[in-house]
Amino acid sequence: MKLGRPFRPCLLSAFLVSVSLGASLISTPAVAQEPGDLRIATSYKLMTLDPHYANLNENTSLLSHIYERLVYQDEGLELKPGLAISWRALSPTQWEFKLRDGVRFHGGAVFDAEDVVYSIERIRDFLKPPSGGFRSSVSGIKAVSATDPLTVVIETSGAAPTLPLTFSSIFMMNKPAEGFETTEALNSGAAPVGTGPYKFESWSSGESLRLVRNDGYWGGKPAWLTVGFRVIENPAARVAALSTGEVDVADAIPARDVDGLKQRGAWIASVGAARINFVQFDVDRDTLPGVTDKSGEPIANPFKDPQVRRALALATDRGILADKILAGYGTAASQVFPTGLPGTSAKLLPEAPDYEAAKALLARAGYPDGFNLVLAGPAGRYPGDAESLQAIAQSWARIGVNAQPSTAPFSVFNTKRAAGDYAVWYGGTSGEAVDIILRALLASPNKERGTGALNFGKYQNVAFDEMLAKAESIAVGPERDAALASATELVMADQPIIPLYHFHHIVGYGPRIGSYVMHPRGWTTAMQTIAATE
Amino acid sequence: MDMISIVFGRLSQAFLLLIAMSLIGFIGIHSVGNPVFNVVNIETATPEDIQAATIALGLDQPIWRQYLVFISNVVSGNFGTSYIYHQPAFTLVMSKLPATLELAFIAMLIAAPLGTGLGLLAGRRVGSLFDRTLLNGSVSALSIPSFWLAMMLILVGAILTGWFPSGGRGATERVLGEDWSWMTANGLWHLVLPALALAIPNIALIARLSRSGTIEVESQDFTRFCRAKGLSSRRILMRHTLPNISVPIVTIIGLQFGGMLAFAVVVESIFSWPGVGKLLIDSIQLLDRPVVMATLTFIAVAFVGLNALVDLFYAVLDPRVRLSS
Repeated sequence: MKLGRPFRPCLLSAFLVSVSLGASLISTPAVAQEPGDLRIATSYKLMTLDPHYANLNENTSLLSHIYERLVYQDEGLELKPGLAISWRALSPTQWEFKLRDGVRFHGGAVFDAEDVVYSIERIRDFLKPPSGGFRSSVSGIKAVSATDPLTVVIETSGAAPTLPLTFSSIFMMNKPAEGFETTEALNSGAAPVGTGPYKFESWSSGESLRLVRNDGYWGGKPAWLTVGFRVIENPAARVAALSTGEVDVADAIPARDVDGLKQRGAWIASVGAARINFVQFDVDRDTLPGVTDKSGEPIANPFKDPQVRRALALATDRGILADKILAGYGTAASQVFPTGLPGTSAKLLPEAPDYEAAKALLARAGYPDGFNLVLAGPAGRYPGDAESLQAIAQSWARIGVNAQPSTAPFSVFNTKRAAGDYAVWYGGTSGEAVDIILRALLASPNKERGTGALNFGKYQNVAFDEMLAKAESIAVGPERDAALASATELVMADQPIIPLYHFHHIVGYGPRIGSYVMHPRGWTTAMQTIAATE
Repeated sequence: MDMISIVFGRLSQAFLLLIAMSLIGFIGIHSVGNPVFNVVNIETATPEDIQAATIALGLDQPIWRQYLVFISNVVSGNFGTSYIYHQPAFTLVMSKLPATLELAFIAMLIAAPLGTGLGLLAGRRVGSLFDRTLLNGSVSALSIPSFWLAMMLILVGAILTGWFPSGGRGATERVLGEDWSWMTANGLWHLVLPALALAIPNIALIARLSRSGTIEVESQDFTRFCRAKGLSSRRILMRHTLPNISVPIVTIIGLQFGGMLAFAVVVESIFSWPGVGKLLIDSIQLLDRPVVMATLTFIAVAFVGLNALVDLFYAVLDPRVRLSS
């Protein structure tokens, strides 16, 4: 193409703009890395620097570099010593924690019993809603006392056999000279001070967090000089950042991208999450929105009949969900945690669908032609959520139940569910232990006892409530786990929910990482990485 | 005197616009869902927790009262505190502004000269191969979805060639109390792909405008007179054609720049570029009402301001505007 002379200035200016953007940079490689700097792309937004603000993975995952807990939950969800070296029950309502000696905060102060007292009191007495997401964990604590600098005695109002587990989620702060630190003060960037392996350097809410090594860490010298977290919520962008080597670790990798990443030379680690995704029924109201017979006339709530729930469970193909929708990065579920974790039953195994038996059950329950319903769920909250609804609807159609999938963003979904707009829905929950989930999801709703907070279907089973209460009173150990497993067997036979799958946490990592230890709680931390040996 | 009444009219219009915008935004974000479910951990919260948080955020009040509280706060310069980030909402928006500003600015710096130049070239040679290519190319550039364009840029520019980083701001330099990427080589390097993703549709838009303007101006009598007078084509172009086609181009640059400040949502999300657009979309998803309202207010003010600037520019560019006022 021949250019006329008059245009040269214009073209030249355009050309110059683009060149000046690039020229000075040709020498700069797109990916620069410092030795000893670990770069992580995470889907977890860091919303606050206040370690007691909310019990969300979004916060705990990142803040666990800076702050530490008395007790640590390992990859098998067993309790291991953290800032406490041992703990024992003095009586059913008294626990004694012995603290680790010689631990110092990043500011140089010595960690002692007063800091534990301060941390508990800050959550229980100082933080006002909506902060203090850990309030329910400490509401049963009547008194905390420091009998000597390395001994804390905690008195509870009722029996609390799982109190040590509670302390696997509560971060320890340094007691200030006077009063309590406010969330605003912590967020203003006055560096948060903990005892953890990495020290706070800088953060930008929802964007990034920078940490430096704490050379005086009690657990030995941490692996990395500096750690940089970049919050990248878009999964494709996380995958791209890992592909190009801009980051060493990227969490929450979509299952469909795993093969592509492996081809590009990245490694993948995954583990079944300590959580459950399920279908929950409203078994309380007499009529339900969207539940009609085949001619569109409203019918009485069919889910009150366990046979109907059982039939729908039998007509649910979990294999398709785990293998196709989650591309193998999901485990078909039969109970609230992946089988094998403490408190799970070895007898409960995921069933293959049996459409004939399901049809027969429906007919026996009085629905030979099936019925219509709207199957609700959140979109984009859990891996495979919206796609699962489609697949379940197709399976149910084979026994004459016409399910119309209806998805909404998570916040909208919650609002509508709370307003009673749904009859049957897809849900998800997670927790520190099996009993916590059983208590919230399947125990009868009871304000005094604090049970059934997530039992939105209002399912009530007195026999199960009693068994669970009995199991909860047993001290942590094999006996308690067995009791929880029996309670689970009893309640699952009644099918209050249809367990679908435990999705897997998937993390990808690059050549600078030797290996990455997955945690079923889904945390993403620098402590889980082992640097590749040069 | 005239000027004062024009300015006053402008201001009252802007004020009405802001009131309407705040009402629509407020009712809109309120009807989407209940923010309390994002504030507490829904998987572990008890009904009491939810109740307490609802009261603490003032969400138990009727909507009209919440709106009045919001307005009276805004009048005293307070947009409230983010439900999610627990920082003053307006401070949060302002902290994301530099990233958006520099991205929009660099994108326009690429798009305006390139688009104008290409359009002039094509307009001078209507029907040539170059002209047809530009026309077809601009149609495609305007019709491809921005998320696909952004993905392709990442695929080609970052993953296949490894020339550019796939996202983020890179190294920043602190100037005037804010962090800027364009001050550092590494930061500029990070700017290239997202700026291109924003610039490409704008190049097409500006090129089409400048092409049609050029065709119109070149066919007018005064251009022929200039030629007859023996002016060089460069002089005709610089002194006559360019000023005559510049009014619509400046308008579109102003509007598109405002659009980039507010709605570079897709590009910012995909390149994880932490700007205002990304903040807006994140906040809508999390129903973080104070931040949504602060962002919308900022956007409305920015648009009004930009429009006023564009009007002023007319007066500079077009003598007729100057004379009439």
